[in-house]
Amino acid sequence: MSKEGVEATGRTLDEAIEKALAQLGLTREEVHIEVISPGRPGILGVGAEEAKVRVVPLEAYSPVGEEEGEEEEGVVVKGPDAPEVAKAVEYLEEILALLGIKAHITVRAPETAADGYGRSSAVLDVRGVEGEDLGILIGRRGSTLAALQHIINVVINRQFGSRVIVTVDVEGYKRRREESLRNLAFRLAEKVKQTGRPITLEPMPPAERRIVHLALLDDPNVVTSSIGNGEARKVIISPRRSGRRPPPPRPPR
Amino acid sequence: MKELVELVAKAIVDHPEQVEVTEERLGDQVILRLRVAADDMGRIIGRQGRIANALRTLLRVAAARQGVRAALEIG
Repeated sequence: MSKEGVEATGRTLDEAIEKALAQLGLTREEVHIEVISPGRPGILGVGAEEAKVRVVPLEAYSPVGEEEGEEEEGVVVKGPDAPEVAKAVEYLEEILALLGIKAHITVRAPETAADGYGRSSAVLDVRGVEGEDLGILIGRRGSTLAALQHIINVVINRQFGSRVIVTVDVEGYKRRREESLRNLAFRLAEKVKQTGRPITLEPMPPAERRIVHLALLDDPNVVTSSIGNGEARKVIISPRRSGRRPPPPRPPR
Repeated sequence: MKELVELVAKAIVDHPEQVEVTEERLGDQVILRLRVAADDMGRIIGRQGRIANALRTLLRVAAARQGVRAALEIG
């Protein structure tokens, strides 16, 4: 056991938390609970996934101030008809061709947080043709998709010298992820309300943190914030205590 | 794979004419070496190595499709 706390798994979130507490010899009031994986019940045990938590003694837990991050400053939002978007499509087509992937790209306007609404100029929707499986383009937890999108944006930023960004989605992955993140956010918010204790989610990229912030923006009983830096940055859902002004709402990001 | 690295590298450097990629095969292992002008190194690597890492991730896809493993050396 390190001073960082302990990790534990269980069939349910509660079971995992209880195990960790038993190891630490502490109560829920004395710890900060970080959900690494909320787990999945599965159907008759099929597809089940264990819940995993990291439990840190409160005295060892230090929330970092919420600094606004990095790179997305100064982004210019244009429409899907912008020349930058056309260039992005061109490059994406070339990359897909070099990868030997048969796919079709559709350009549309961003509509949701996962689409990059308010920041991104267009969504480049990539769909496999002729039964091509594009799972390889998504990668583990969307990491390959993120790399692809990053490269495309670096290219158009370099070519145009402007801060226009596009969103690349493959087989609707980001939409599905958005849906499951929203559900996770609602579920954990209920838990926070029941226990009165904050819960920290696993680290997520900025676009995914924004989805969680937005999902809970209108919930009067919880408040969200982010801690950590770079790839370790994660959302924390806390009870909003009455009688004390909550911190000003964070601009969703 | 060589073409992929060239395409991306040439699109983001100031001196595309100085982009040079060589490919060496050792069984199922492919080593790609990317050379760019000295003042373009930063552009290829990116902040905290993000661009180089993203390029390596894409390369992994290309390699997997060809049933090989690829490594990218820069510089």
